[in-house]
Amino acid sequence: MEDLVSIAFSVAITTFVINMIVGTYGIFVKHNVIKKILALIIFSDSLNMLSIAIGFRIAEKYPSPPILTTEPRDPRDLTQFADISVDPLPQALVITAIVIGFSVFAFLLSLAVLYYKYNGTLDIRTSLEVEENEEGFQ
Amino acid sequence: MLIPIVVVLVASTLSIILAYLTMVEKDLLIATIYIAFIGVLYTLIYYILMAPDVVLAYMPVSSILLPLMIVIVLKKTKRFEE
Repeated sequence: MEDLVSIAFSVAITTFVINMIVGTYGIFVKHNVIKKILALIIFSDSLNMLSIAIGFRIAEKYPSPPILTTEPRDPRDLTQFADISVDPLPQALVITAIVIGFSVFAFLLSLAVLYYKYNGTLDIRTSLEVEENEEGFQ
Repeated sequence: MLIPIVVVLVASTLSIILAYLTMVEKDLLIATIYIAFIGVLYTLIYYILMAPDVVLAYMPVSSILLPLMIVIVLKKTKRFEE
């Protein structure tokens, strides 16, 4: 059974890396601004997912979430926590990164609206600035 | 014990297909719906990888708030990518 778990785990990590590659391709190749933002969303979500997958581990039966429920700390609870719980540090980092990423995407979308109002298009190739520069060169 | 493994495999494989479809789609509204589905699949994987607090923060952000903002932006700008 542990072999099956590790195989599924390797497949999952590979898919997250492939999704990161797809997101990087979209950021660099696509010309639409909102399509670039969508690619950045895919990239950041896959990166968060990869961090959580690194913090996971294969325990005896099944790992438990890193939560202590008994209020007077019993040494046996701490021993069980250290035995079967997953790593809490990536979860703390990822829950911060998700909230910060949400505000970053809100800011980028507002910039996309301003870009459309100024240039009349969402394509980065046919903006007013590029046309002015091309006329200047000619 | 077998069900979480199957769910992880199916969800991660579907997320690759949906990411590819998001990149090749010309209609940005449908691409936004694909993004929301990727959020749902990643929420399932977070739950199976024992991160319930991340699930509570990630589910509304990825499946509701971000697609809602993108739909509002698409209404103010252009829907189709040329």
